[in-house]
Amino acid sequence: MEFQKDLVKICEMYPQLKLNFRYKIWETDFLRFYHGQINYNISKTSISLYTTIYKGKKSCSFSLKGPTKEMLVEKIESVLALIDKLPEDPDFIDLEDDLTKSEEKIKTNNIKKVDLDRKIQILKNVAKTLESYKFKIYGTFICNYRTLIFVNSNGINKREISSPIYLECKAVNQKNEVTVLETYGGERFESFKETEFISNLTEKVKIACNEVIDVNPGEYEVILAPRCIGEYFMYLGSSIHAQSLDSKQSFFEGKVNEKVFLKSITLYDDPKNEKLINFDYNSDGHIYKKLSIIHQGIFKNFFVDNYYGRKLNMLKNGAEGSALVMETGTKNLQEIIKSVKKGLYISSLHYMNFINRKETSITGLTRDGTFLIENGNITKVVNNLRFTENISDIIKGISEIENKAYTIPYSENYGEFGMHSVRMPHVKVTGFKISSSTRTV
Amino acid sequence: MKKLVYDIVNKLDLPGITYADVRFTDTDTQSIYFEKGNLKHFGFDLDSQALGIRVLTDGCWGFAGTTILNSNSIDKTIKRAISNAKIGSKFRSDPVAFKKLNAVQDSFLYQPEEDPFQMDDKEKIDYLEKIARKLNGNEQIVYSYVYTELYRQYKIFANTIGTFVDSMIYDSMPMMYVLASNGKESMCRTFPGHMNGRRGGFEIVRQQNMEVQTEEIIEEAIELLSAPRIEEERADIIIGNGHLALQLHESVGHATEADRIFGKEISYAGKTFIKPEMLGNFRYGSDLVNIFSDSTNKAGMGYHIVDDEGTPGTIVDIVKNGILVDQQTSQETAALLGVKPSSNMLASYADDIPLIRMTNFCLSPGTGSLDDLIKSTENGYYIDYTKTWSIDDNRHNFQFTTEIGWKIKDGELKHIVKEPTYFGITPEFWASCDGICGEEEWEFHGTFHCGKGEPGQAMHLSHGVAPARFKNIVCNVKA
Repeated sequence: MEFQKDLVKICEMYPQLKLNFRYKIWETDFLRFYHGQINYNISKTSISLYTTIYKGKKSCSFSLKGPTKEMLVEKIESVLALIDKLPEDPDFIDLEDDLTKSEEKIKTNNIKKVDLDRKIQILKNVAKTLESYKFKIYGTFICNYRTLIFVNSNGINKREISSPIYLECKAVNQKNEVTVLETYGGERFESFKETEFISNLTEKVKIACNEVIDVNPGEYEVILAPRCIGEYFMYLGSSIHAQSLDSKQSFFEGKVNEKVFLKSITLYDDPKNEKLINFDYNSDGHIYKKLSIIHQGIFKNFFVDNYYGRKLNMLKNGAEGSALVMETGTKNLQEIIKSVKKGLYISSLHYMNFINRKETSITGLTRDGTFLIENGNITKVVNNLRFTENISDIIKGISEIENKAYTIPYSENYGEFGMHSVRMPHVKVTGFKISSSTRTV
Repeated sequence: MKKLVYDIVNKLDLPGITYADVRFTDTDTQSIYFEKGNLKHFGFDLDSQALGIRVLTDGCWGFAGTTILNSNSIDKTIKRAISNAKIGSKFRSDPVAFKKLNAVQDSFLYQPEEDPFQMDDKEKIDYLEKIARKLNGNEQIVYSYVYTELYRQYKIFANTIGTFVDSMIYDSMPMMYVLASNGKESMCRTFPGHMNGRRGGFEIVRQQNMEVQTEEIIEEAIELLSAPRIEEERADIIIGNGHLALQLHESVGHATEADRIFGKEISYAGKTFIKPEMLGNFRYGSDLVNIFSDSTNKAGMGYHIVDDEGTPGTIVDIVKNGILVDQQTSQETAALLGVKPSSNMLASYADDIPLIRMTNFCLSPGTGSLDDLIKSTENGYYIDYTKTWSIDDNRHNFQFTTEIGWKIKDGELKHIVKEPTYFGITPEFWASCDGICGEEEWEFHGTFHCGKGEPGQAMHLSHGVAPARFKNIVCNVKA
């Protein structure tokens, strides 16, 4: 790519500076549907360059849309007049210098492969199947195509291409607004099994047709769906980033190689896992490889990027927590449900926010299907519930882990957004604190 | 650019296209971030241009946007918008319909007192560096930052009805934060809080007087480490302006966006407990509660001549004497509800599709000062500065934590309390409102970061509020 070569040349033109470039060519085709019909389809394209210039320990950053070599040189020259006047960042040591490259895979542009007609046909099939249950579908069907280029003055010159697909389909009961959710995410559309997707959603719809009840606040035995435990781990991720050590907000500070959870808990970050959306590099351009985070209950590693690795004298590892995988357990889901005399099945979480990040205290709500379990069977739909809990206590309370894992995708949706995914099983948690009911589904 | 927009609108005046609008934005942003007294980030994004084309064909919306503004890309964008609508109409059973509005031609160019994009960058950095250094001297303060975001956006809006409006706005958002630790736990304080965005230039940053507040937030953060928590199950609470703006935002603002009623936001932001049949008869709050949407007040970040589908700015009562009377609407949802459109369709950038967004969403003032309200409180808490916020997807059950609270006993502020956490059910909470301060306490608070929509958009908006008291609220929720 010509502009990638230009970026390398510009680094050579300014040997007195440390230049860091992130160049992105990004496109999305974003279908949003509601009430069993299209809301709108959006096509967006963008070419952007994010540049940071260091002169010694002084720095300045800027973005350019649709950049050319001439535009960039002009901007650098204008910044040079300013940069000497800026105060230093004494903590800055150097830019990323990991030159390891990942093998570049040929990626299909899924915007072309899964075009609007194809998406609509799939959604029509889903909508039609659910008609007889009086449920309608709401959600998004997104395809992205992104080329990301990393160039810097330390010789980094790398490229990553991705084209993730994301389908989120909520089925909503037209009588009482009970919702259930099914998602698909990945880069290989061949892995999307339409029949299986519709069948999974239909099974959830059947359960969602049951009576709706309210439950009182208190401690419950709960089964968390893979999406839920995935989200708790993602929130806990803020304590795993090295930056949280610097800002004194990490739950894991001083706990490396200490037992933090039960032996059954093993978690790693696996950006090349074939069941997940893959990543070659972290946001610095460092190679992104599999990393153990919690091994048999023992905390092993922080996510360490270039800046905080150098500042805190930690070994940088390029991990970012974008592909979390939890080890499976021994029992199947039916056995786990059977083991609950009276409890809750929680499908999805909503609007979580930390009360105290270091303590991992959090509040949030259930969403898209909360169910009562009685004598080992899912019996009724429960109004959405609020929990106020420490995430660390939720994980400490895991008493069973399913013997199967599921891929759960997340679309970030803001700006030139990306997608990522996690691979999680169902888990059973004892003593889960429900603090109030929403009194609505 | 006006000619470009004009030419594109003319190209869209085609048989089969019921309606189309074209927007162009040119946005400048600058951010300055000091951490522990040191400049960590000085960045800018200038002349960030975007174009968006929205087309209604065969009863279906199609949209395409781009930041690549050459003629080839623009032609492709026009074609994609039209084809998105045409293909999409195959999966549309209820055609979009609304009444045509009158055309508007006008211009609004806001003049800040201190244009941050004309100022010397060094002056801004020096100003903030002094504040950052003042935050960084105390042993118990383990982390601090000072952050300021400066924003300017020029926009052109045109549609096939004949509306053509351009505008220039300036918004600024200063913030500082300290984290105190005693080795066991940590407590934070911010200033001026999370609803810290305002319409204006660098004068907004200076008006906050952050340099005067540094000692106070340091002392309070340290004092919070040893402060008690609220012990009562329930208490009366007076909510200060900064946090009340968020309470209003989450439990009334988002709840009264009409796209939620029709399920258009179910997949992400959520629904609302409000149903169309509630308009005109549902008790949302006590008789004191009057809430309105006002896109005509130039002091707020929600001012505009027309929204992003050409509806002129207006004032709409949402809650009148405690009764829900209207919604924030688009032309399409207004037609479905049988009301007038409220001029609430907005997009963050031209390459974003417009959504129903709050503009200046306000609680009407009552009477008296904050001192009067505290004096008339026998036993309760005065709380402010948002720490945590969460609300369910029907906007019915909320729980908020503020950074700090003050015990009120016999009409006087006593000791501080840490992390006051209260919970409520929206209409019950607003029904418990028994006092709202007067105009002398009423002011705009706002944010740059109201997230909504898919693809997601972060919107600038304001809330006019005066401190208010709520009776018998559950206020000691703990993890």
